[in-house]
Parts: sequence; C-alpha cells; structure tokens
Amino acid sequence: MSRKTADAVIVGGGIIGAAVGYHLAKAGFKVTLLEKKFPCAGSTGRCIGGIRAQFSHELTIKVMLLSIKLFQNFKEEVGDDIEWYAGGYLFLAFDEERKRSFLKAIEIQRQCGLDVAFVSADECARIVPGLNTEGLIGGAWCPTDGQANPFKVTFGYLKRMRDLGSKVYTETEVVGININKGRVVSVVTNRGDEFFAPVVLNAAGPWASEVGRMAGVSVPVTPDRHEALVTEAVERCLDPMLVDYRSDGCYFLQHYGTGHIIGCYTPVPLVPGYRLDSSDEFITEMPRRMIRLLPKLSSVKVLRQWAGSYEMSPDGNPICGRTSIEGYFVAAGMSGHGFMFGPAIGKLMAEMITTGKSTIDLSEFRLDRSFTKSEAMR
Amino acid sequence: MGHGNRTKRAVKKSALNSVIVCRCEEISEDEVRQAIKNGYHSPEELKRILRIGMGHCSGRGCMRVVARMIEEIAGIPIAKLQFPKSRPPVKPIKLQLLGQYRYESENS
Ligand SMILES: Cc1cc2nc3c(=O)[nH]c(=O)nc-3n(C[C@H](O)[C@H](O)[C@H](O)COP(=O)(O)OP(=O)(O)OC[C@H]3O[C@@H](n4cnc5c(N)ncnc54)[C@H](O)[C@@H]3O)c2cc1C
Repeated sequence: MSRKTADAVIVGGGIIGAAVGYHLAKAGFKVTLLEKKFPCAGSTGRCIGGIRAQFSHELTIKVMLLSIKLFQNFKEEVGDDIEWYAGGYLFLAFDEERKRSFLKAIEIQRQCGLDVAFVSADECARIVPGLNTEGLIGGAWCPTDGQANPFKVTFGYLKRMRDLGSKVYTETEVVGININKGRVVSVVTNRGDEFFAPVVLNAAGPWASEVGRMAGVSVPVTPDRHEALVTEAVERCLDPMLVDYRSDGCYFLQHYGTGHIIGCYTPVPLVPGYRLDSSDEFITEMPRRMIRLLPKLSSVKVLRQWAGSYEMSPDGNPICGRTSIEGYFVAAGMSGHGFMFGPAIGKLMAEMITTGKSTIDLSEFRLDRSFTKSEAMR
Repeated sequence: MGHGNRTKRAVKKSALNSVIVCRCEEISEDEVRQAIKNGYHSPEELKRILRIGMGHCSGRGCMRVVARMIEEIAGIPIAKLQFPKSRPPVKPIKLQLLGQYRYESENS
C-alpha cells in the first residue's frame, strides 16, 4: 500500500470531475483525479452533446449562460477544438398548455438576458426545412444554444490538467473514504493506494450516492436508463437541436463537424437502475418518432444504439457544494444536463473550493435543500 | 441524402500519405500512432478520441489493428486490453425500415 498526497482528490473522470480538476489545477492546486474505468466511461461518453440556456429556473439559466461562454472560449483557454457550434435549440409546442409553460420560461430567460422567443409554426419550418408542422402551434427558439463534442471537452480538460502538473489515474476505483473528527482525511483505492488530501470531491455522476455513503454522506442521486442512437453521416440537413416534449416525442440534432444525427427520448414509464442494455422498443420507436418530425430522414441509416444513465436528483437540479463533512464536496446529480453544465460547474466549484465562495451563488443547489423547486424544461 | 461530409473531411486531413487504419471514419495510422503516444492506451479511449470504430463497420475492420498498435507502441499485451462493446444494429439499417417494425413488449 502506497501513501500519496494531493491538494485535492476528485472521484470520477466524467465532464464534471475533469472540469473541476482543470479549474483547480489552473488555480495552482495539485489535483489527483481517480477514475474507476477510463475518462468518459460513465454518462459523459453516452450523452448527445446538446447545450442550452433554455431552462425555467433562474439559477440554471445563469449557470448555463456562463457555461456557453466557456464553451465558446474553450479553444483559446484550454487549447482544443471541441466542435462547438451554435445551431440553436427549437422546443416544439403541440398544445396550448406546453405553449403557456414555454412562455412562462421565456419571460424568466429574457430577464436573464437570453435571446429567446416563441415563434410560429411557419417560422419553425423555416428554421428546420422539411419539418412536419401538422398540429404544431409554434416553438421556443433560442439561436445561441448549441452543441459540442463531450469526448473532446473532457479529454481537453484532462490534458491541460496534466500539463499543469496534476495527475489522472484510470482503472482506479475509490473504495473507501477516511474521516476523522468530521474532516475528510484520505481516500483508499482498489489498488490499495491511499491518497491524503484536505479536499475530496464526489464527482461520481450516477454513482454519487455510493461515493457519498463511503463518507457517511447521503447524496440523493438515482440513475434512470436513457437510450440513444446515431445515424450515418449525411449532408447538412438540420441546424438546431429539435425537441418534441410530447409523451411520444424525441429530441435529436445533427453533429456539426461530422454530419451524424444523434438523438434520444425519455421513456414512459422511466427505467430506474444501472442497467445499460439496448432495447428493441427504442430502436423501432425512435426512428418512427424522428421520421414523423422530419420525413426527409427516412432513408438515413442507423449506425448504432446504446444506453446511459441520467443521474437524477429529486428535483431535477444539480447538487453542488459542501457537505456535513469538512473538506468533502459534491458536484453530481446533474439530472441529464451535466455535459452542458460542466464548464460552469467546474469553474464555480473550483472557486468555492479555493476561495470559499463562487462568483455565481450556488447555494440553491446545496445538498441540504428541500428539493421542492422542480425544473419545467427537463 | 448524400455523404458530403466524409469526402470533405478526408481532403482536410494532413496525413494523406499515411495508411488508413479505419476506413469508415478515415483515420490514418499516423493519427492512431500519435494518439497512443499521447497516452491514450486503450481501444475504448482511442475510439472516443479519434472516432475509430464508430463508422459503418463498427470496428470490425480496424480494432484488431488498433490493438496490435497499442501492444507495439505502449507495450500492453493484447490480452490485457478492454475492447468497446459491439452495439446493435449489426449493420446500418434505414430509419424507415426500423420504424416499420412494431415492437411488441413481452407482457402485451
Ligand atoms: C442518452 C443520454 C443523453 C444525454 N444528453 C445530454 C445532452 O445532450 N446534454 C447534456 O448536457 N447532458 C446530456 N446527458 C447527461 C450527461 O451525460 C450527464 O449529466 C453528465 O455526463 C454527467 O457527468 P458526470 O461527470 O457527473 O458523470 P459521469 O460522466 O458518469 O462521470 C462519473 C465518473 O465517475 C466514475 N466513478 C464512479 N464511481 C467511482 C469510484 N468509486 N471510483 C472512481 N471513479 C468512479 C465513473 O466511472 C464515471 O466515469 C445525457 C445522458 C444520456 C444518458
């Protein structure tokens, strides 16, 4: 058993661990990041790369406005081309109730400074040529939302982190966390190593409750299985992420760099648990839903289907901040939006850890809240 | 719908003189070699960083070559490597064709 030290230990090599790790390293911390498989092995490598500030909760919108700025500047700041593209997000409304809920969210979004509007069905068809407008009332449209490549963002952060003198251990699982007198002391890995650090961050995504339990902290994050598919690369035919919230709806976008079309839907009922098998239901249902919205896709071929976990918190908002254990922080439960939150959460959590305070107050996302304010644009 | 992007991509690449390892995504031997040298030592990571094995054949053509290159450059025996899962469908199928199939759940 070897004993090592660090200024901070991060558990989890997804977007959240990588982003916090990079920002801590930039602030001069010697960080050790421990990942039980390989970077992006969890939810981050299974997500479809959508990025938007269209939410209904003010703090989420503010966090996302910061995140989008960081995605835009990624190449200058961190060094890699992450295939950021502002193709926008178009949320479709097929009934009055949905329209009302979008209008309500748009009011809050505009107060936060977001360029967003409710547009007519004809306008939707202009934004997405070939869109089937049958039954469509209109849509919530924000042209500054976009997409990026989750692998490139995560690997980009990790690479810079290493360049700044921090360490990333793959195939290394955290199996225990030692606490003394209410303070975090060290973490123990399956390889028998012990890492001593005054700061430990739980960034274990869908496994955050397990990693919480190791420190005696209850983190209410539960996984739901979400499936996705990707088609072959085709010529540019779709600019924004298209979101259809009907119970038999779906959402998809065309990857800007490569031309692949990638998408998913939220199953009814939900599929709780860690299972990540692919279902026949999804691979037949999803194509029908995609073609219904965009008939011109019917001859495009599907390359692959897979599944991943949404890491749900009880109210669908992130869990970020301190815990009852001194030095033990959590940034998890991103509830299916962790990729887009990543850059901002990385910056803000690093500020909280290094200075005790973040430039955007995240206290509404703290662990010991009541979890009653639900997000309307999940 | 045509496959415009792929031709564009190949021309953009600098490594035109190198042997192609992944024909579907047009990833050259030089690119794989460079990525392994940059510390990406598993087929899973190389897939994610290069898109190798993510194309039409889902890695059937290239993964063995990739494994041999990792063994050669990074010195990790092939038997110790973790390979990406093969995902359905086995061959690319049109959305329309998949959508025609009505899935009946076991309990209905
Ligand atoms: C199908 C699908 C589509 C999605 N689409 C989008 C989208 O368009 N936009 C968006 O923003 N989000 C999307 N998401 C959600 C997004 O993927 C997640 O919110 C995000 O990846 C969470 O990142 P994370 O770093 O918290 O968790 P993860 O990426 O899961 O990282 C956690 C890591 O911790 C590691 N780990 C766990 N336990 C331990 C341990 N004991 N020791 C060491 N390591 C450990 C895991 O191996 C894992 O790599 C989607 C998700 C799915 C499944």
